[in-house]
Amino acid sequence: MRWWCVAVDEPWSWAPRPYFGVWAMCLAIVGWYAVSIKRHGGSVSRKQVVWFALGLLFLWMASDWPVGSLGAGYLASIHMLQYMLYTLAAAPLLMLGTPDWMFERLLRRRFAEHSVEVLSRPVVAGILFNIVLVATHAPVTVDSLRTTQVGNFVLDMIWLASGFLLWLPVISPAKRFRASSAGARIVYLFLAAALIPMIPGGFVAFSPQPLYATYELAPRLSIDGPSALGDQQMAGVLMKVGNVPIIWAVMAVIWFRWYDNEQRRSRDERLARQRTPLTDGSGRRPTPDRAVPPAGAAPLR
Amino acid sequence: MFVAESPEQSLSGPPETSEEEVGVPRTVTPWLVLGIVLAGGLLVGLGLLVGGSRSDGPGEWAGTILGAPQQIPDAVLTDTDGAPFDLRAETAGTTTIMMFGFTNCADVCPINLASLTAALDELGDSRASGIRVILITVDPERDTEAVLRQYLDRFDPVYVGLTGSPGQLAAVQQAANVPEAQRESADANGAYQVGHASQLIVYQEDGLARIAYPFGTRQADWTRDLPRLLDGDVPS
Repeated sequence: MRWWCVAVDEPWSWAPRPYFGVWAMCLAIVGWYAVSIKRHGGSVSRKQVVWFALGLLFLWMASDWPVGSLGAGYLASIHMLQYMLYTLAAAPLLMLGTPDWMFERLLRRRFAEHSVEVLSRPVVAGILFNIVLVATHAPVTVDSLRTTQVGNFVLDMIWLASGFLLWLPVISPAKRFRASSAGARIVYLFLAAALIPMIPGGFVAFSPQPLYATYELAPRLSIDGPSALGDQQMAGVLMKVGNVPIIWAVMAVIWFRWYDNEQRRSRDERLARQRTPLTDGSGRRPTPDRAVPPAGAAPLR
Repeated sequence: MFVAESPEQSLSGPPETSEEEVGVPRTVTPWLVLGIVLAGGLLVGLGLLVGGSRSDGPGEWAGTILGAPQQIPDAVLTDTDGAPFDLRAETAGTTTIMMFGFTNCADVCPINLASLTAALDELGDSRASGIRVILITVDPERDTEAVLRQYLDRFDPVYVGLTGSPGQLAAVQQAANVPEAQRESADANGAYQVGHASQLIVYQEDGLARIAYPFGTRQADWTRDLPRLLDGDVPS
């Protein structure tokens, strides 16, 4: 019995084959989450629990049969889908579902705080994320790691970690690790997750030959299905533009919320100005200590 | 315990005014250096991605050089039109790639044929037309002429499919110096597999094979070796 997905020299079968390592990992994460809340009594919103559950669902989907098995040894396009599920779905949702106090507890470990501080710098996070992207899609890496269960596990966990890294400057549970402004977060996401991945995506999509022995020499799901090169081209297109709906949607949310905040702030300022009389009766503009205090404020001395 | 969602947990992050206050002081130069180093790593990774699929040196062969040149089997089999096909006469003066297989093969045969077909497509019609691909079935019971034709048409209609009596097929395998195919036991549905030689043997224009390509030969290997074989380069 296998505990994690691996490339095998067997024709593909639609008979379900769960991997107990995946289930054990998911149960361990649920246990850690529940015990943390119960033991430390911190607050967590229903929304956060839903985010966390969704993140876990995507983590399980990416790791277990059929996506995990197909990605491990049959189709390069599913390999790429798996990567996207880890980095663009599971990681950010798990992060959104983690309360700040839970995250702060994780940072109490030695070097954790400093490491996260360094890794959360947008330049560092963006470049490291793309190094992982390129390195883990290099043929030598894929063809080496996909042949063993341990290799596949390592690859999957690297992808998950790189997903956390990508989203750290954007939605870190601890505010101090987020990029300094909405504009910075938008530019960061655009460069790190939308623009740069298009370059390796282009190499994969436009390669005239199959790059990965694992998928080129894998039993085809169907003799009439896509060729190894066609499958790889789909993988390249996914790497190039598959992230667009997610990244652009997130950028739009950030922008609209920033715009909303700005509108609210300018409205509040306008209202505050309207409540303040232009003169104090003597014909002069009131100085701050002469201004009429807002209702409920302590009397001026 | 559950509490109301706080705005700090949302995608947009905290209000802009408070972020400047909680932000970590940042100095530019060390991060610029680190960024450059990491960018270098990214470029190295890109190099791996682009160059990682290249294998072997230009003078090497991807196939296995045979100990001694072998002549194409002297046999007359039946093609997919039901007509006799004299292996030696029909392939004389052409480069011929011959393999043994069967249409119900789930892995080796379709993968071998797919890689070879993709390589021939990449070579272009002018060069690929000088190569004859022959599949000799090891499962004559199920692989009728029509079934063989239908199967090969999925790859390329010009591929030749051959069948014969079990005795003829055994003799051809022996003459080609490959182990004889073995039929495995049938499952509950009556389906069975056939264990067979998985290499592709290349006979050059002189009718001699000097090289065979094992299962696992990739499109890139074929596109590198086939032009050399067509040009008369003798594997040694």
